Amino acid sequence: MIHDKPIAVRVRETALLSPTLKRVWLEAADGGLLPPASPGAHVLVRLKGGERQWRNAYSLVSPPGTRSVYEIIVRRVAASRGGSHHVHDQIQVGDAIEVAAPANLFPIVVSARKHLLIGGGVGVTPLLSFLPELRRMGARFEMHQIAAEAEAAVFEALLAPHGGTEVQVHAGRGGLDLDGLMAGQPLGTHLYVCGPTPLIDAAARAAAAAGWPAGALHRESFGGAAGGAPFVATLARSRLEIRVGADESLLEALEAAGVEAAHLCRGGACGQCATVVLDGVPDHHDHVLTPDEKASNSVMMTCVSRAKTPRLVLDL
Amino acid sequence: MSKSRPLYGPLQCDATGRRHLLVLQTGTAEAVTEPAVADQFLGDGVGPVEIWAVDAHAPRTEAANPTPPGEQELARRGFTCVTAMFDALGARLQTETMGLRLYAAGDEAFLWDVFGVASAAGLGRQEVRLSHVGEPARRVYCIHCATMNEGVRTDLVVCRGCGLRLSVRDHFSRRLSAFMGVHADAETPGSLPEPQALSS
Repeated sequence: MIHDKPIAVRVRETALLSPTLKRVWLEAADGGLLPPASPGAHVLVRLKGGERQWRNAYSLVSPPGTRSVYEIIVRRVAASRGGSHHVHDQIQVGDAIEVAAPANLFPIVVSARKHLLIGGGVGVTPLLSFLPELRRMGARFEMHQIAAEAEAAVFEALLAPHGGTEVQVHAGRGGLDLDGLMAGQPLGTHLYVCGPTPLIDAAARAAAAAGWPAGALHRESFGGAAGGAPFVATLARSRLEIRVGADESLLEALEAAGVEAAHLCRGGACGQCATVVLDGVPDHHDHVLTPDEKASNSVMMTCVSRAKTPRLVLDL
Repeated sequence: MSKSRPLYGPLQCDATGRRHLLVLQTGTAEAVTEPAVADQFLGDGVGPVEIWAVDAHAPRTEAANPTPPGEQELARRGFTCVTAMFDALGARLQTETMGLRLYAAGDEAFLWDVFGVASAAGLGRQEVRLSHVGEPARRVYCIHCATMNEGVRTDLVVCRGCGLRLSVRDHFSRRLSAFMGVHADAETPGSLPEPQALSS
């Protein structure tokens, strides 16, 4: 990667879109230009709150290519590892924070004949950066955004600048017939779905039932790292004992202990953090490993996966 | 073997598809017999199957027999020439929806012409299966005069466009559906190896 160092940014502005959705504008701390990002890209934001540190991945919602500012939208998650609460409760205009340069695991497939976009809740974020690009390309597309009834107006407003007959907001999952939608798409359609895991799974099932090839389905899950029962990770090479708390991920615990652990998406999607498991049974939550690989208990993604046994021994 | 040299599989049903269209070149309608297709493609939940063949003698029927309710549809359609079939294929794919799988059986030039029609309609590699049957004859594109030389069976051929002796490479262009033919004795005119028969 060309930009491998963290970028110092400053909070330029914040806005509350709803009681649990906050939009944050970040500009380069030195007033210069930020590295450009393509549609679907995300940044890892480093947050510091007292003893705690988080590196959370947020999709950029600023128009693709924008270099003056990175815009993100953060949902306050009730049961979370705390990062989203920090963004909602602590972040102030003028605060200095660090972000890693944008990476993209959810790009637009330019050869597609039609682009079918499905967003669930705050899963709207990567799709928000798709819309201006699809319009610019003159591409054929259709977007369905599913929102809780109470929030439908918020998402209507978010999508209004990109509005048109192609963009529809549905209040509640019941408003969208996924099977019917998948069955009627022209050849060469690609599906992009971002939202909670149950929505992604339902869309994938509907696509498979309609005979879609796997390569036409693109998913971005933000259901990423959830907490869980605490466990201990023993690092065989560095001989460290890492205690993974209930509200942190294994990757975060490794980082807190000063271990240089590989990572990119921090959402179980990219496979960058794959780590060899020497002993113990991992509790897999990623979308990278095949069922066979998961069953082998020999490799795991440290960003989202945890342990079924009190202890894991890792080749680190 | 060159990396651009395509690999082909047997004509095998992709059960993840919901509708299946087989297009067969002249001469392969026999090679790909109906019992063989029935074995592969007929079964629970496979969905409708259509077989299109270039076969001047084929009965030009849309559907041989009306399908009894509950039974899988199997329709045959004959075409008098490849051009007519490709025209019909292009038109058909315009109206098709996701879930179709396209299968082609024939020589390499035919296979990649089908692939070209399919790609133009938006079908991707996961939705098209190519099965090579028949002789290992190649379509050779002369890189000097752009002539397509059909049915080449040896690794040295005289271009029927410019008359140069061409060395037939394993370099296959999916865009042109042809192998590259390159002036064989450009450096030392007349210095040529013995022509070898091409293998598939």
